[in-house]
Amino acid sequence: MDTGLFRPASVAEALALLARLPDAKLISGGASLVAMINARLAEPAALVSLAGIEELKEIAEAPGGGFRIGAMARHRDLAAESRFSGTLAVLQMAAAQIANATVRNMGTIGGAVAHADPGLDYPPALVAADARIEIAAAAGRRRMAAAEFFVDWFTTALQPGEMVSAVHLPAARPGIGLYHKFARVSGDYATVSVALTMVREGSAISTRAAIGGCGPTPLMLAEANRLLSGDPTAEDLRRAGNLLQAAADPVDDVRGSAEYRLMLIPRMLARAFDEARLHAGAAR
Amino acid sequence: MSDTLHVTIKVNERSVAFDVPLTETLLTSLRDRLQLTGAKRGCNQGVCGACTVMLDGVAVRACLSLTANCEGQSVLTIEGTGADRAIAALQDAFIEAGALQCGFCTPGQLIAARALLEQNSDPSVEEVQKGMSGNLCRCTGYNKIIDAVRTAAGKLHA
Repeated sequence: MDTGLFRPASVAEALALLARLPDAKLISGGASLVAMINARLAEPAALVSLAGIEELKEIAEAPGGGFRIGAMARHRDLAAESRFSGTLAVLQMAAAQIANATVRNMGTIGGAVAHADPGLDYPPALVAADARIEIAAAAGRRRMAAAEFFVDWFTTALQPGEMVSAVHLPAARPGIGLYHKFARVSGDYATVSVALTMVREGSAISTRAAIGGCGPTPLMLAEANRLLSGDPTAEDLRRAGNLLQAAADPVDDVRGSAEYRLMLIPRMLARAFDEARLHAGAAR
Repeated sequence: MSDTLHVTIKVNERSVAFDVPLTETLLTSLRDRLQLTGAKRGCNQGVCGACTVMLDGVAVRACLSLTANCEGQSVLTIEGTGADRAIAALQDAFIEAGALQCGFCTPGQLIAARALLEQNSDPSVEEVQKGMSGNLCRCTGYNKIIDAVRTAAGKLHA
């Protein structure tokens, strides 16, 4: 009875199954897990499919502004989401650059977030957007800032028996969110990516920038964000890029050497920042 | 070997049932159990697109779909598209444009192109490039495939 495929109808049932089957894996779209099974990196004896849990499929506007995105929301739906205005466009733009149209039909935001591959597009976008991850546990649900949720290579703050039930976005603010990805070919994982939100506050701006693909987790620095906010000069932008470059911990892999990735960081930051500033100015 | 699971799915309008291991992919079931070898196993990682099929009307990677997780769902493979107007137009256009050489990727290309044209009946060159970016071809250099998809689109809504 400890093997097989289980199809709970609610999050509570899914959590009960995880408690009873400690070796079971959750499966949502399968885009990451089945690829790992095919590569013999995973061999689950039991799977708990989330496909029958309606609550997880909704993308709903929250009463106080912002959105609650169910964990089973597909990349395709987020890429086509027209309600993500202002700063929240960062998530729509990241979703549209994941893999390719067919994989976007399959993969889900909850699956991607729980997988926590540093080359994925959502993690830096969620950090830049100041999103919160909703974690469901037997004891109840809690929310954690995306910046704290991603803790290491393929490792999140999820404890055994817990699952990602939703992603919460704060209310959109006037300005712009954007996501730039540097990849060898269309649809590849990021060699380096930059997710950036820029709020327009009168004549001043307030910026959050997160770097993806350059270490175990998305990289965001309070000091870099401070330099990129207010009325930044070219020197401030250069210093922010240098700070992020110094704090990054990329590895050599087929997508680029660590040295190459470090070279890309300030260049990509500057490109994204300049574009955002142009648009944030025009969008007021 | 883990226990098998009994699964009933519809493949090309025909109901089929089999007992599969938990981690068997739809691609393996189609190719090795049903001898439907149109969908190809290229990368087995969801990258190359050669295994693209329709599942309940949506283009998916058969290599990333677990058969056991498809219970009750309906699969359309290239073998089931004999009467499909869009596939016929695409096949004609692919032949005319020389949009294939070895043919390995072609079943996936055709299914992906059909899915693209369902969403966008008159795609621009850039829209075809984006829509078909998940289907690799090592023979044609892609321009002929783009031409073929746009030619088929024009014929279909002429």
